Amino acid sequence: MFFRKCPFLLIFTLLATPLHAQDGEQLYGLYCAACHAPDGKGATGGAFPPLAGSEWVHGNPKRSVAIILKGIHGPIEVAGKSYNLAMPPQGDALGDDQIVAILNFVHKAWGNKGQDVPRDLVRVARAEFVSRTTPWTAPELLKILPLEKQPTALVNLTSRVYKGQWNQTPDFTKIQAENVEEEHSGILDTALAALKDDFGIVWEGDFMAPADGEYAFILDADDGAKLILNDQPIAEVKGLGPMDGSRVAKGKAALKAGANHVRIEYFQGKGNQGISLGWKIATATQWQWVSATTAKSTGGNPPIPLMPIDGKTVVYRNFIKGSTARGIGFGFPGEVNMVYSADNLAPELVWTGGFIDAGLHWTNRGQGFQSPMSEEVITLTKQRLLPPTARFKGYSLDAKGNPIFHVKINEQLLSDAFAPGPDGTLVRTLKLSGGTSALEIPLGDNPSVTTEKSVSLTPGKPVTITYKLR
Amino acid sequence: MRPLLILTALCTATLSQQKQSDFYTIESIPLPPDEVMEIGSIALMPGDKVAVTTRRGDLWICEGAYGDDLTKVKWTRFAHGLHEPLGMYWKDGSLYLTQRPEFSRLQDMDGDGSADVFETINSDWGINGDYHEYAFGTSPDKNGDVWITLCLTGSAGADSDWRGWTVRITPDGKMIPTCSGIRSPGGIGFNAEGDTFYTDNQGLWNGSSSLKWLKPGSFQGNPTGNKYHKLANLPAPPEPQDGSRVLTEHLKFPDYIPPAVVLPHGKVGQSPTAIVPDLSGGKFGPWAGQLYIGEQTHSQVQRVCLEKVNGIYQGAVFHFLEGFQCGIIPAKLDERGILFVGGSNRGWASRGNQPFHFDRVKWNGKTPFEIHTMSAQYDGFTLTFTEPVDQASAANPASYSMEAWTYILQKGYGSPEVDKATPIVKSATVAADGKSVRLVIDGLVRGHVHHLKAPGVKSTSGLTLWHPEAFYTLNEIPR
Repeated sequence: MFFRKCPFLLIFTLLATPLHAQDGEQLYGLYCAACHAPDGKGATGGAFPPLAGSEWVHGNPKRSVAIILKGIHGPIEVAGKSYNLAMPPQGDALGDDQIVAILNFVHKAWGNKGQDVPRDLVRVARAEFVSRTTPWTAPELLKILPLEKQPTALVNLTSRVYKGQWNQTPDFTKIQAENVEEEHSGILDTALAALKDDFGIVWEGDFMAPADGEYAFILDADDGAKLILNDQPIAEVKGLGPMDGSRVAKGKAALKAGANHVRIEYFQGKGNQGISLGWKIATATQWQWVSATTAKSTGGNPPIPLMPIDGKTVVYRNFIKGSTARGIGFGFPGEVNMVYSADNLAPELVWTGGFIDAGLHWTNRGQGFQSPMSEEVITLTKQRLLPPTARFKGYSLDAKGNPIFHVKINEQLLSDAFAPGPDGTLVRTLKLSGGTSALEIPLGDNPSVTTEKSVSLTPGKPVTITYKLR
Repeated sequence: MRPLLILTALCTATLSQQKQSDFYTIESIPLPPDEVMEIGSIALMPGDKVAVTTRRGDLWICEGAYGDDLTKVKWTRFAHGLHEPLGMYWKDGSLYLTQRPEFSRLQDMDGDGSADVFETINSDWGINGDYHEYAFGTSPDKNGDVWITLCLTGSAGADSDWRGWTVRITPDGKMIPTCSGIRSPGGIGFNAEGDTFYTDNQGLWNGSSSLKWLKPGSFQGNPTGNKYHKLANLPAPPEPQDGSRVLTEHLKFPDYIPPAVVLPHGKVGQSPTAIVPDLSGGKFGPWAGQLYIGEQTHSQVQRVCLEKVNGIYQGAVFHFLEGFQCGIIPAKLDERGILFVGGSNRGWASRGNQPFHFDRVKWNGKTPFEIHTMSAQYDGFTLTFTEPVDQASAANPASYSMEAWTYILQKGYGSPEVDKATPIVKSATVAADGKSVRLVIDGLVRGHVHHLKAPGVKSTSGLTLWHPEAFYTLNEIPR
């Protein structure tokens, strides 16, 4: 920073020209409003994280300073919604006084009740984080500067721990609890059981409603959970599964001000565990959490499943998990699917059932590799099997939209066609043209799909292989 | 009497003010219903057709985009399953695309209106699955080569071959690594003379976004991709010194070409994109031969005039068109003077609050009173104007003011404006035809952005300038 090299000049400037104080609102408009929107609600109808009503701008102002200085990227929860974007660091572009002015504006604007930012705080934070060269991720930052806990709405809370193996929430009234505890923290946390697998917890107590009215609840769990208020079931996360937002349950209840009897049932199968429960007055925008973790209310990306249209094969060229960055996916009619790698010049993945969910790549910036919509993907090969001189020359589509890949191998051309056959089969037709050399193409080792290990091609003589995918 | 005075003052102000709708009309081109049309590239085709690609990988062809009644446009999907194309042109019956993994040619062999041949012409650069590894491509240059600029891996890496480079693809499909030092391009194109430029975004080793000249063999300032000089059997340029200035490093290593025109961060934009030369011969306003630059964050189009001084490009950027509904990514100007712009704000927000858009802009033939060009002199600048200036106001040095600054060249993200100076306009001499003014200035600073404000200058008909400011990047001071 220029200022840092000239401390004397800075002091002189501040003393001599107090009118040069920074206008936080103006700076916000210049540097921040494009993404966070002039009204603080997040640009494009909340497609970007809001600052108005955000829990991130309340409490310790150092957290806001840290984000501005170093940027933040990756998955983040803001006001009950998931985002996966990137905010570039501003610490090398904005001066201390500018950052203070922006934050003092943001912390008081739009009904926010954030704290004043002492001017020194930016200088101190710069020194503290000086060695950090990459933007924060939300978990990293929260580890050192956690969000302030709201006073919990759960009082008189008790927990009962049960042991057992279940695939769905059992009838806990018919099982003997192993242990009963009072939970004065008023926070739901599965860690209290100190068990890894095959247990259940039932919490009971009072939900203190601040006023008469309608309340909304959000529940997520790994594995299952049930929310019961005043003896009425409100929300349930059924069966086994992850707490990744894909199984979130929401519900509403009309409540009287004061104590309302609450019962939360939870069970854990194997692997990861956890429960998230949030509430709000139905018309409010921000969830209050009464659990150690918070749910992803949006369920990550909205699903955009792709499928053949009008009986024609659908193509998806993007990063597909299990193949390379130059994978090309084809969803054939009849629920037969494949990924061809233009890096490795071979079909790499085949499967039946759903094709691809484009939600990951077609939402936010689209980072990451997307898995096929099947648990049972067959990997045919994973490496390049053709000579190093082989070059991908693209593909053509037949009248039904089925691909014929073209590979140039020295002076010869290999055409490699795929089409769906009957009963979940994929028919591959290879043809070599030009020259006189024969070519041996390994097919990998998947006896359930095809018993052939390789094909021998001579120019002009097509060879057909049928892959059995079911 | 006081209210009356104020009213009179207001009326005078209104009369002398020019606004965009006096000269240009932005019209939304209706898009195919129920489709997400986040436009990444535009190609002009014969028969008044316009092709667009989307970030989702579709290619649509629009008929009627030139028509008087835009409700009659007809869209046909020509292809799908493409990998985020960010460059497209039409040539001899084919559409050529710069896709993320490759440069390709699409053809419709059976004539059913949709592509059936997707030929890979070149795919010699690396991608690894990082979303940031974008590839922006041009139309062919005068030699038939297509220029493709390859964004770094993320903000700070070059994990795949040739990230941080600009390459050329020859007509026979060979790749020539051409320039290094690239950070995060938003667009690439030619100026009217056919030299190649790209826009690079503020970030590491980029104090502000800017328009940069891709002189073959040049280094553009970000050393992250320099490990690939080895692959090209070229000597790597020296790593710039962290905390230095562009000019300092350019003087040490002349092949480090300074940005032709800095687009000051925040003041002019935050994410420059498309580069469009005006080859319409004045059909889009009196700007023949100048450049237009798309701006994603601010949803604007800026205007740039360039000149070459001591062998280096430099020039001025002016505010121009604003109020687009979304962040601009591609733009193409038709020979008849219709500017097509499209865009998206997915992942990167924009002032325009629509998730995507496709617009056309037309000039109505009326000439705004505006600074036409700004060119450097050994002791100041010459401004030319679109209309004759009023002698009294334009010859008064008090009608102008100037500030100058530069940025730190640093490993960190962006830079504040530093080394601030206040050059003084000593005199302003109006040419006999009233169309230009020669400014003599004390205190020009080589390497600095010179921000000229000219709020006091009036036309002979009493108008003030539509955009009374310019930002000139003074890489070289003429001798």
